[in-house]
Amino acid sequence: MASPNPRSALSRRGFLGVAGTAGIATAGLLTGCNRAATGGSGGSAKPLKFWNMPWGNTQFNKLDKKITTDYKPAEGLSPATYQVIQWANFTQTFSSAIASNTGPAVSSGGGTQAFQFEAQGKIAYADDLLDSWKKDGLYDDFLPGLIDTMKVDKGYAAVPYNLDMRVLWYNTKLLGQAGVEPPKTWDDFLNVCAALKKNNIYGYGTAAGAGAYTGSHILVSWMINNGGGLFNAGHEPDMLTDANIEAINFVLECVKKGYVDPRSPSYTSDNAQSQWKAHKFGMGFDTAGLANNVGGTVAKELTVGSPLTSPSGKKGMLYFPNNIMMYTNTPSQKSSEAFLTYYYKNMAPLWTENTGIGLPPLKSITETEGFRKDKNAVKAIEEYQPISKTWAAPGSKALFLGVTTVDGTPAMDTFAQSVLGGKTTAKAALSKLQDATAKAIKALG
Amino acid sequence: MSAVSEGLEKARRGVGVAGVGRPGASPRRRPTRGALTLILFAVPSLILLLLINLYPLVYAALQSVRNGTLIKTGTFVGLENYANILTQSAFWDSALFTLIFTVTGVFGSWAAGLALAMVLRTKIPAGGLFKVLLLLPWVVPVVVSATSWNWLVATPQSPLPVLAESLGFGNVLFLSSPILAKITVCVFKVWISFPFMMMMMSSALTSVDVNVYEAAKVDGASGWQTFRSITMPLISRSTYISWILMTIFCVNDFPTIFLLTGGGPVNSTTSLVVMAYRTVFQDFQTGPGVSIAFLMTGVLVIVSVVLYRQIAKVNIE
Repeated sequence: MASPNPRSALSRRGFLGVAGTAGIATAGLLTGCNRAATGGSGGSAKPLKFWNMPWGNTQFNKLDKKITTDYKPAEGLSPATYQVIQWANFTQTFSSAIASNTGPAVSSGGGTQAFQFEAQGKIAYADDLLDSWKKDGLYDDFLPGLIDTMKVDKGYAAVPYNLDMRVLWYNTKLLGQAGVEPPKTWDDFLNVCAALKKNNIYGYGTAAGAGAYTGSHILVSWMINNGGGLFNAGHEPDMLTDANIEAINFVLECVKKGYVDPRSPSYTSDNAQSQWKAHKFGMGFDTAGLANNVGGTVAKELTVGSPLTSPSGKKGMLYFPNNIMMYTNTPSQKSSEAFLTYYYKNMAPLWTENTGIGLPPLKSITETEGFRKDKNAVKAIEEYQPISKTWAAPGSKALFLGVTTVDGTPAMDTFAQSVLGGKTTAKAALSKLQDATAKAIKALG
Repeated sequence: MSAVSEGLEKARRGVGVAGVGRPGASPRRRPTRGALTLILFAVPSLILLLLINLYPLVYAALQSVRNGTLIKTGTFVGLENYANILTQSAFWDSALFTLIFTVTGVFGSWAAGLALAMVLRTKIPAGGLFKVLLLLPWVVPVVVSATSWNWLVATPQSPLPVLAESLGFGNVLFLSSPILAKITVCVFKVWISFPFMMMMMSSALTSVDVNVYEAAKVDGASGWQTFRSITMPLISRSTYISWILMTIFCVNDFPTIFLLTGGGPVNSTTSLVVMAYRTVFQDFQTGPGVSIAFLMTGVLVIVSVVLYRQIAKVNIE
């Protein structure tokens, strides 16, 4: 057998040369791809990275990208690039990018993300931006109380973007068959549940399984509805209150009486929607987009009910003012602010062109004809937004770092699953949640 | 020793009717100059591998003794994270579930895989097609499998609850009852993993010399005696290797559990790897989360060493 000729083989130096050329070519290609999603002008200014989440259906990010890349910055300011960040593992995506200074200059993200990064010194406060919006009228266009939810000690950590609200839904057809009117109080709620149960339908439809956080959101909503909540004015967990115990006892009563599907502790959001579709859920709590998510003929039967009045005479629900934040790692703060001003002045189509995004933060958008076509969304904005509160309730309006210890955490999941499973007491469940939250806040430093 | 037992012992050692015995141990050789050259060639790759594996390992070890977050490394806290974790009842509950999940996953999938491998060794019509179909649970992405299983068991209208009710078992809560959720997750793991075991066992069975079985037959061994005294010992090396691999797969299995139950209800299906993930990425406590991962790695190393010693023992025998 002939031995191979070493001279004809690729030398190490040759290999490195080829590899280097390939690397440069690939980098060029990738840069080219990146440029494809960049706004047109801006001179030689370094592009500003805008990362947004898939907040709606497939149309959302297409339209959002167009709005972003249509941005024509003033001379000397940066154009914007657009990138969609998927919800899967988004915490890791943001954390690793921001830790390595390769993250965005402006982004949306999880509802409490801004407060987390603010505590790490990575957020650029929006105070100057909001001051400028006071002059051009944009500030006054925000729905009442919204901007306040973003205020931390050092300034505004973010700007409200889209609202994720929890509302009462009922199926008009099933309530009609049961011969009952939509509830207005907690007692009414029990009566409607009892009437639906006679037809083998659950009146308290909810889900607290893998990735479904609605179950826990609604438990906190019952507390807020009764004048309670999770944190006091000092931002400390204060859960073992009479209002909270009464609220959780009410839920346990619903579980005991068979008004809650026993599979709710393990239902995913899809499972819950399939139960609405199958006419197994006649009433319950969900996001304001439930009817759109369920779809089909059932969607037309689903209606947002008015907020319930609790035994304490109060009303209230939990809501999530999702937001857009600016980071300290930016080509220039002025560029970030200029881009956001443009974006907020031009983002209305995201709510008027059926993209499936949550509810709008601006009054002017809620007044558009496109938005008002959806009666359920209008009801959510008009009746729920004014009474809704954040995780920080009842102590304060504004969110803070400590709320990350209850937002989708294992302790909160366990709390929801144990209550909806019915094998606990209100005091035991709240006490366990209180201890876990206090411990987690201590670990945050 | 009876004639049958003696014959089986000879057969197991490979002294068949054709008189073929095991080759003797090769004499120990000193490394030659050529071998040294080969080792030197391998050194750069070894250094690269060490860097790729060592850097994250050392970095993780450092994180486990600090109270950092995903962004900041935090301050040095010594072994406090380990001490806190080891005194948490939630950790021991998760460790127990990990043990149950692993033992069921390893031995359940091995038993099913071996049984199917033996069935597929016999000539059956469309055997190839069966093999392909049986491989599907392993081949299909776990996201798809988990969604299918959710569809099978989650709601009252799902096929299995409907079947259970029609058989008189009442309203069976496959994922909502803590005990049934544990069982469902373990069965799901066995279902996902048996094709891998089937392939391992199939390849081990093909390496067994048919003459050995003929020798056993001549000596009058029954089917069970042949299986217990010939098949099992001769495939023991592959069996131990498959156990080691499946133990690692089960202990480190995150998606199977997380996608089906998310670790619930009420933490009943939270394994150590799920707990580590949730501690780091949902509670944002990097130190304790990485400490859990390190404790898991320690246990895995011990189990692997024990099983490797077993393999060495088989080789000596």
